[in-house]
Amino acid sequence: MTDVKNEQSIFKVAINLIGACLISGCIIGLVYYITAPIAAEKSEMMKQESMRGLVKDAETFKAVPNKENWFAAEQNGKTIAYVVPGHSKGYGGAITMLVAVTADGKVLDYSILTSNETPGLGDRAGQEPFKSQINGKNAAALTVVKDPSNKENVQAMTGATISSRAVTLAVKNAAEEVVQFTGGK
Amino acid sequence: MKELWKIFYKGLFDENPIFILALSLCPALAVTTNVVNALTMGLTVLFVISTNNVVVSLTRKLVNPKVRVPVYITSIATIVTVVQLVLQAYFPVLYKALGIYLALVVVFAIILARAEVFASKNKMIPSFFDGFGMGAGFTIAMLVIAVIRELFGNGTIMGYVIFGAGYNPALIMILPPGAFILIGYMIGGIRLYNQRKDAKRLKGSES
Repeated sequence: MTDVKNEQSIFKVAINLIGACLISGCIIGLVYYITAPIAAEKSEMMKQESMRGLVKDAETFKAVPNKENWFAAEQNGKTIAYVVPGHSKGYGGAITMLVAVTADGKVLDYSILTSNETPGLGDRAGQEPFKSQINGKNAAALTVVKDPSNKENVQAMTGATISSRAVTLAVKNAAEEVVQFTGGK
Repeated sequence: MKELWKIFYKGLFDENPIFILALSLCPALAVTTNVVNALTMGLTVLFVISTNNVVVSLTRKLVNPKVRVPVYITSIATIVTVVQLVLQAYFPVLYKALGIYLALVVVFAIILARAEVFASKNKMIPSFFDGFGMGAGFTIAMLVIAVIRELFGNGTIMGYVIFGAGYNPALIMILPPGAFILIGYMIGGIRLYNQRKDAKRLKGSES
């Protein structure tokens, strides 16, 4: 008798769990079906917009052949800058960013796409005033220093030296890659 | 009606999830560095906890007590995933800012605790108000902490500069230890206030 009861109970338990998971799966599937295209559209839009924010004079962005995720910013049919992905390892893990570099290797602007830097410390690497220290420099000047009188290079942010270094390095690498690609012209 | 108000109200102060129950301290440290993130997190929890309480209350007779916790977690996880998908589609910036903490809402102690303590034993409407009150209390606590931390740690509120450029931000307020210290003092202050109130009441009833 107790066996039957036990079996029933296990059966009930299993039904319960199956039911819960089934319902949950259906709901998530339905919501995903609705939101997935919107999310993809939004992320594409954000990418375009963030590139436009980096190179303000650009009219169109064209993918560069043979280079993954490279975009050439064009104005009047002439390439004025390249938007390339940058990678680095920061204080809280991987940092991915977009860097806009002119053909002769000057950094126009950059933006951080994903990072896990400390809020309020390391994540200021994507904001002013740190940003304006990097913009306009070429790869050779992009090293982090801790000497306030040095205006040539990049000042580390107080309390976030690792993040400063990581972001600067990623920008530097991106700039060097572009120079290599264009031959510095 | 009065009963429902009472159920709602206790979550705000008398049983505030963070200051009194001291549950879900992890998000209270992690996402209160600025007001916008704290508000989004608070509202997310508010939504999840109310919805989950309703679901748990509606299914309380169907769910076998032996597996109630897995079923509750499945329910919470479903709701959180839905919130995640919606945020990702319509508010990608906020979604990015909250990052991993959004997924961690699933295991917030306060949500499971309310399902277990209240919703599994009560009808749907009181359960909803219980969740709503607890969520509101959580949101208020998050906001209070975030306002103080952002103001002193960064000199801004919701991104607007309050203290001028001459203000030298107190970095510790932005870092997790600052949040620990702040929450500690706040819990202490609230305990002290409640003690005084109780003592007064006791005195009043004696005389």
